[in-house]
Amino acid sequence: MEKETLVFGPVKITNKYLIQGFNLINDRFGIKELLDDEVFEKIAPGHLGLWSCFGGISFFIFMMQVVTGLLLMIYYQPNIDVAHASITKIMNEVPFGWLMRGMHAWGANLMIVTILIHMSKIYVSGIYKAPRELNWIVGVHLFLLTTGLAFSGYLLPWTQLAYWATVVGTETPAAVPYIGEYIRYAMRGGEEIGQVTLTRFFAIHVCILPLVTAGAIGAHLVQIRRQGIAGPC
Amino acid sequence: MSVGENTESPSSNEDTRRWFLNAMISFFGAVTALGVAYPVGMYLWPRERKVKGGGKRSMKIPLNDIHVGGAKFIRFLNKPTVVLRPSETQVSALSAICTHLGCVVKFKEASGELQCPCHGGRFDSSGKVLGGPPPAPLVSFPVRIDGEYIVVEEA
Ligand code: HEM
Ligand code: FES
Repeated sequence: MEKETLVFGPVKITNKYLIQGFNLINDRFGIKELLDDEVFEKIAPGHLGLWSCFGGISFFIFMMQVVTGLLLMIYYQPNIDVAHASITKIMNEVPFGWLMRGMHAWGANLMIVTILIHMSKIYVSGIYKAPRELNWIVGVHLFLLTTGLAFSGYLLPWTQLAYWATVVGTETPAAVPYIGEYIRYAMRGGEEIGQVTLTRFFAIHVCILPLVTAGAIGAHLVQIRRQGIAGPC
Repeated sequence: MSVGENTESPSSNEDTRRWFLNAMISFFGAVTALGVAYPVGMYLWPRERKVKGGGKRSMKIPLNDIHVGGAKFIRFLNKPTVVLRPSETQVSALSAICTHLGCVVKFKEASGELQCPCHGGRFDSSGKVLGGPPPAPLVSFPVRIDGEYIVVEEA
């Protein structure tokens, strides 16, 4: 009897249990065809080079931020009396805490860099033109969301640097004519930066912005699939 | 290799190569998975260990480990700690974490004091601040000489 095989592009699976396990899902969701079309049998256009990778790299770093961010949430405490002590504990006591925090902090900076490279590539090659204008707009919003994440996360360690960066960052929009003062008031959750500010920055940083960003990334990727990768230029 | 050669088993070459590539992918995939699982597992696993039946946690070090005028760095309660022996019968046990910004202090045998490499904080063998930015003495632990051993206890 011929052995049953499950083929995913170049990968052939013959293990009975793996096949059974996959079929368990596939018989109900019918995902094999979709996976083949979209992943395994899909051939990336040959003209893509290094510079085309930075969108994907940014996405990868975002996923790393989600994972390391969720891990940091296990020990971080968003309370002004203990926030900094909880970070010190992560750095000095929790095994590999320094690694998780370091990856999160470096990832935040790297993500800004990779997104800027990605945007430059799209700009220089003129890929933002029709029919991809809307995706450029979504992309600009993704960049803004990322800076929002970086700004809101920066307050969380509750250090002098974090505090004063937030003083400056909330003072700047106060210069906007007419509504500036209200923006500052809303961002700080009051006149001063205190517990209320930390609480809202925490909620924005770990829940609201990640969800919105994930949604925007979804819209970005769906458009790429519908419009196809831009041809060589 | 010219065309026509190796017609007997055109796939055998391919098979060994595929086998090798699969083995490599599996191997490095497994190494990567372990390399992620280990730190994440260690990170998540709780560390507070309570001594059964209450009581204080303590640690014993052979007296001979520290010569008179010397010091030894140990890990006590999971934190860097230094045990000093300024004289034959005197010992002290101090947290080695600088009270300024948390660097680990170093022992200077010549002067018998502890110095912080970060901003030059200085402490004497009882933890008292001798100079530099540290705002408070080093945290000290109860310690005694018990025969051939030095016993450090939780405060
Ligand atoms: C779901 C996603 C995320 C979660 C759950 C999360 C969670 C956290 C937590 C708990 C902290 C406090 C710990 C610390 O300060 O080290 C933090 C810090 C921070 N986060 Fe995030 N984060 C996420 C995504 C991001 C993203 C996408 C960025 C930016 C691109 C970002 C930038 C930062 C920054 C700059 C800090 C301060 C880091 C530091 O000073 O060490 N985070 N995040
Ligand atoms: S950390 Fe020790 S002197 Fe600053």
